[in-house]
Amino acid sequence: MNGLHEINFFIKLTFAFAVMLVAWLVPGWRFGVPLALLTIAFLWLAGVPGLRGYIKGALLLSGMVVVSWLVNLWLQGATTATALPIAAGMAARLVTTTAAFFFVMETSTPGSILAASSAARLPPVVTLVLSLTFGIIPMLRDDFERIADAQRARGMEIDDVSLATKLRFALARGIPLLVQAIRMAHAISFSLAIYGFDLKQKRTTWRTVGLMVEPRMNMKDNANDR
Amino acid sequence: MLKITSLRLGFGGLDPVIAETDCHLQEGQRLLICGEAGSGKTTFLAAAAGLIPRLLPIPDCAGEVTLMGRPIASFDKTELFSTIAFVSQNIDDQLWDLCVEDVIAFPLENRGIGKLVIRERLRTLIAAFGIEALCGRRVLTLSGGERRMVAIAAALAASPLILVMDEPTTGLDPAARARLAALLQTVATSVSSLMVAEQDALALLSVVDRISLLSDRRLSHPVPAADIVSIDSPWRNAGLLPPRRQRCVRPPAILGRPLLEVRGLTTRLARPGGQPVLEGVNVEIRAGEVLALIGRNGAGKTTLFKAILGLEKTAAGTLLLDGADANTWTVATRARRIAYIPQNMRHILFNMTVTGEVIFAITAASATSTDPDILTRAAAALDRYGLSAFAEANPFVLSARQQALLGLACADAAGAMIAIIDEPLLARDLKGRRMLDLFIATLQESGRSVMLISHDLELVDDVATRMMILDDGAIVFDGALDEGWDSASFLRLGWPAPYRQTAGEIR
Repeated sequence: MNGLHEINFFIKLTFAFAVMLVAWLVPGWRFGVPLALLTIAFLWLAGVPGLRGYIKGALLLSGMVVVSWLVNLWLQGATTATALPIAAGMAARLVTTTAAFFFVMETSTPGSILAASSAARLPPVVTLVLSLTFGIIPMLRDDFERIADAQRARGMEIDDVSLATKLRFALARGIPLLVQAIRMAHAISFSLAIYGFDLKQKRTTWRTVGLMVEPRMNMKDNANDR
Repeated sequence: MLKITSLRLGFGGLDPVIAETDCHLQEGQRLLICGEAGSGKTTFLAAAAGLIPRLLPIPDCAGEVTLMGRPIASFDKTELFSTIAFVSQNIDDQLWDLCVEDVIAFPLENRGIGKLVIRERLRTLIAAFGIEALCGRRVLTLSGGERRMVAIAAALAASPLILVMDEPTTGLDPAARARLAALLQTVATSVSSLMVAEQDALALLSVVDRISLLSDRRLSHPVPAADIVSIDSPWRNAGLLPPRRQRCVRPPAILGRPLLEVRGLTTRLARPGGQPVLEGVNVEIRAGEVLALIGRNGAGKTTLFKAILGLEKTAAGTLLLDGADANTWTVATRARRIAYIPQNMRHILFNMTVTGEVIFAITAASATSTDPDILTRAAAALDRYGLSAFAEANPFVLSARQQALLGLACADAAGAMIAIIDEPLLARDLKGRRMLDLFIATLQESGRSVMLISHDLELVDDVATRMMILDDGAIVFDGALDEGWDSASFLRLGWPAPYRQTAGEIR
């Protein structure tokens, strides 16, 4: 199923929008919840990296959505029996939507997005914005993990502590993460400048791009050299 | 080709970093610039490559830089960076999350070159650099040495006329250094002139024809490389370790009890073929010992210390720290006994002040303290490593050398039993070496030990009391240095033994 990762970024993006549309059009929780579960099952079958972390986040998000909708509907006089299906339906829509875009984000490297955009002859600024928008979140998440490892490696106990302390330490990673994000922005801007990125010059790509995007250069086989 | 006249560069301090410096890089010339850390090499190269002031404006910038007879300011950005390619010392400054082929092809894609031409150039460069195995991998997952090879390949992709490189051999093992030197000789046909800054003059001696020393804010007149490498005084005057210095005699170490015992370590992390990155590894470090770990790029050195710290999952093996079973300890518990000092300190700094970093190293919980004992220890550590003036500065504004010193100060103040030092670049000049010697002596005298991971074999020979060679996931040699340099395991690496290398022996 890892071949799914190599599907052209724009096809994945279209698929994600379509899934989101279906999620918001299907009536009620009876369709919404199974669709959300199916989407997550798809992520598992597709071998999407970071799925465990996503599920934790999705559970937290779903809980918050359900609680906020329940409170909202109770305040409007609805009973729990009426409010719960509505809250569950809203949470399911959100999970389906985020799961669909999680698939796009996790399986599309900035390089494959650059390639798909360049092959589509999109203006360089659009190419850059798309690559950074979808590429920067996994990069920042990796940095977040790296900072956590640095904290562990310097003796900060962030594993064998209560959930509240874990959350507090996670928030404390915000400042170094911000510093890292600024450094990353500098590195990207520096590399764009010295490697000749020009907003007026349409880019090309070394990759073969069609329904799929060539993931790596085959040094022995030159079948794609056309 | 590139003419620099009366260059003055400063960052707003009392004295400029570079003052009234001239340099004339002629067509076909290969100039090596050597200077101690902080002497202004990087700043000078940035001006020579046109990065200052165009991309990096600084408060004090005067003088004249002309490229092929024209003021460098008259070149537009595209024309300038097609003519001059630059490779930064801190390679992370110019890489982002692309795969290896993307990085190398990036300059060609940006200029709208056709796919077939790009693929042909990619194949040529990937084969020339011997990095076929890295194809498809994200550069940010590569080792420091591998990243550098990719960045140099990217710099050469668009066939620039001038190649400017800042310490290009940083993080490369001796074989990779030799490969780079050979490669730079072969690219002579496409690159007209080369300007390189290095602290290790021997690494690229076969490539360069002239050497200038940068000291006291000025660049010396370039002299033929062969005329200067064998004389000690110019190097010492510039604050550098002379390339042909005599081997120093080490006093024998007084060894104490075992502080670290690793038995049968096998990692879950596996190579593409399924073989564990480390398999059945045994390591022992005793109090007072300086153990050097050497091995090729990608041999598993980083994985070994990560496994010891608990950052890498293990499939088998036992770990004893000072006799206690540490297998089930968390990373943080292990880290209170093992201090880790990486090559790039930025990866492990996260507090807002320099003092905060040292206090955190002592407390392992907070960057602030009201305990007078902790504050005194933190101040003493900063003073010992010459960082008192930066106590309230943000660690991220420190230079790479100052950050490395901060790493030593933190490890020292933390009182960890073992310090793991990964490629200490500060040790390549006299001042830095004095600080590293001070750190090692402090730990040895207090019954602690050091594990040094380095490709700088002269440094290993100077400071280590024992060496281990890691090859293909296993320890293939463990013993005394002299035996190590003559061992079959070391010979298999194909590296020149330290202090036995002459210019002709550099491969």
